[in-house]
Amino acid sequence: MTRKKVTLAYIGNDSARKATFKKRKKGLIKKVSELSTLCGIEACAVIYSPYDTEPEVWPSAAGARRTIARFRNMPEMDQSKRMVNQQVFLRQRIGKVEEQLKKQRRDNREKEVTELMYRALTGLGEGSSALHGLSLLDLNDLGWVVEKTLREVNERIRSLTTKSPSLTPPPPGMMSNAGNGGSSKSDDGLLQEDDQRDVKGVLDAPGIMDGVLSLQQPWYMELLKQSEGLMGLGKFGGCGDSSYSYSSGHEMMMTHNPPPPPPQSSLSPYLCPGGQSLPPWTSNFFFPS
Amino acid sequence: MAKKPSLGRQKIAIAKIPKKNHLQVTFSKRRSGLFKKASELCTLCGVEIGILVFSPANKVFSFGHPEVDSILDRFLASKGARSDGGGSTHNSGTRQLFEVHRSASIQELNMILTQVTEQLEVDKRRGEGLDKATRSGVGGGGHPRQFWWESPVQEMNGMEELEQLRSSLEELKMHIVGQSTRLMMDASSSFMAPFLGLEYTARNDHGDQFDRKPDRDQVNNAAELVQYLSFPQENGLF
Repeated sequence: MTRKKVTLAYIGNDSARKATFKKRKKGLIKKVSELSTLCGIEACAVIYSPYDTEPEVWPSAAGARRTIARFRNMPEMDQSKRMVNQQVFLRQRIGKVEEQLKKQRRDNREKEVTELMYRALTGLGEGSSALHGLSLLDLNDLGWVVEKTLREVNERIRSLTTKSPSLTPPPPGMMSNAGNGGSSKSDDGLLQEDDQRDVKGVLDAPGIMDGVLSLQQPWYMELLKQSEGLMGLGKFGGCGDSSYSYSSGHEMMMTHNPPPPPPQSSLSPYLCPGGQSLPPWTSNFFFPS
Repeated sequence: MAKKPSLGRQKIAIAKIPKKNHLQVTFSKRRSGLFKKASELCTLCGVEIGILVFSPANKVFSFGHPEVDSILDRFLASKGARSDGGGSTHNSGTRQLFEVHRSASIQELNMILTQVTEQLEVDKRRGEGLDKATRSGVGGGGHPRQFWWESPVQEMNGMEELEQLRSSLEELKMHIVGQSTRLMMDASSSFMAPFLGLEYTARNDHGDQFDRKPDRDQVNNAAELVQYLSFPQENGLF
């Protein structure tokens, strides 16, 4: 096989180019032939070059003409639908590679953050010191991974208890949500997907809570519903580019007012269990249209 | 562990593939590879190629450089004593210009493709490095990997361990939320304070962040707040 990597550009050296052409042409013809035989399909190839007066044709001039005739007899749209030239083809290839790249980077990120989670789990005894150096982005992704692992754990527990019910009693009520969520939904959703959809509009805009992993997968949604009494834990909506969370800041203001209004009344629009409609002013706030 | 690697390269007999779905997959992959080889041949050696491929489902795929139709026309024409076929760009002046533009953009696309492919390789290697680090337990913190909870959850069987893991995770989650909230409060308060007539002072550990001027109105009304803060979003204000 080739030992050196070849850059994808016109070969300047004449003899090298000619040699390459000969080899690769042979290889190309072989590939067409194999494709035709293996899959039992009709194909043809025509190669014009400065090295040959007549084009190289596979399978034969007659065969190629037959195939071309079959091609040309098809409706115009069928012909052009899967037709490519160099530019189109290269763009397609670039697109494919970019997709792979995105996925690879995402996987890498997940691996990184999982490592982080292991370290944080180890350091749980010393308080939350492990989390201090982390940015919001990191924290958000970390939360996502923790949530994902939790779902897996609950699912595992559930499957083990259903197999042999004599084992430990069912998980406490608080966790039953997560258990259900993990089994029936993919990693992408959290439980209460309806509620998630309601608020998805707000959260769609990029905001500080959008980590690499947690984009559009607000793992904290469940938490919000469970912790109504928790001050300041409002919805962290996106608000344009520089993404500071007005909502939480706002609530913090309110809670500092003497006397502070009872948490429920000021925050309940945010934290109503259904995760329903946000107070109108919030939407205007974030998305003036 | 990562998903199992594929079967790898296997020797295959050149005869029609018996299984239909196997055939479809093979067709798809090989067709793609064929076009790739053709594209490379065109780029490397500056030649003109046309390829037609009919799929098992009777659809047609075609690759052509410079264009499928021009190659086919050229081929068909050369077999008979026909005059040159139609073509709006037959005027050699415009045609040459057209070709120059085309080859310039192809060149550029090839470069982009090369770059992106290289980036992919880099990130793939990085991924493998991360895998190795996780397995050998050298990942940054240098902690040993013997912690039982690092293995895939699916393989765990100890109920006690699972529940312990769960509670640890829950605890960690709380810490994360707490830390996030703290960070956000810092960020937004330092930002918001000037607008609300509050002086921001250095945060002490008890989280009390504000010195209030007693004679300023407190913003305890949503509408007021919106007024204060309703500036245009596109502004680079923040």
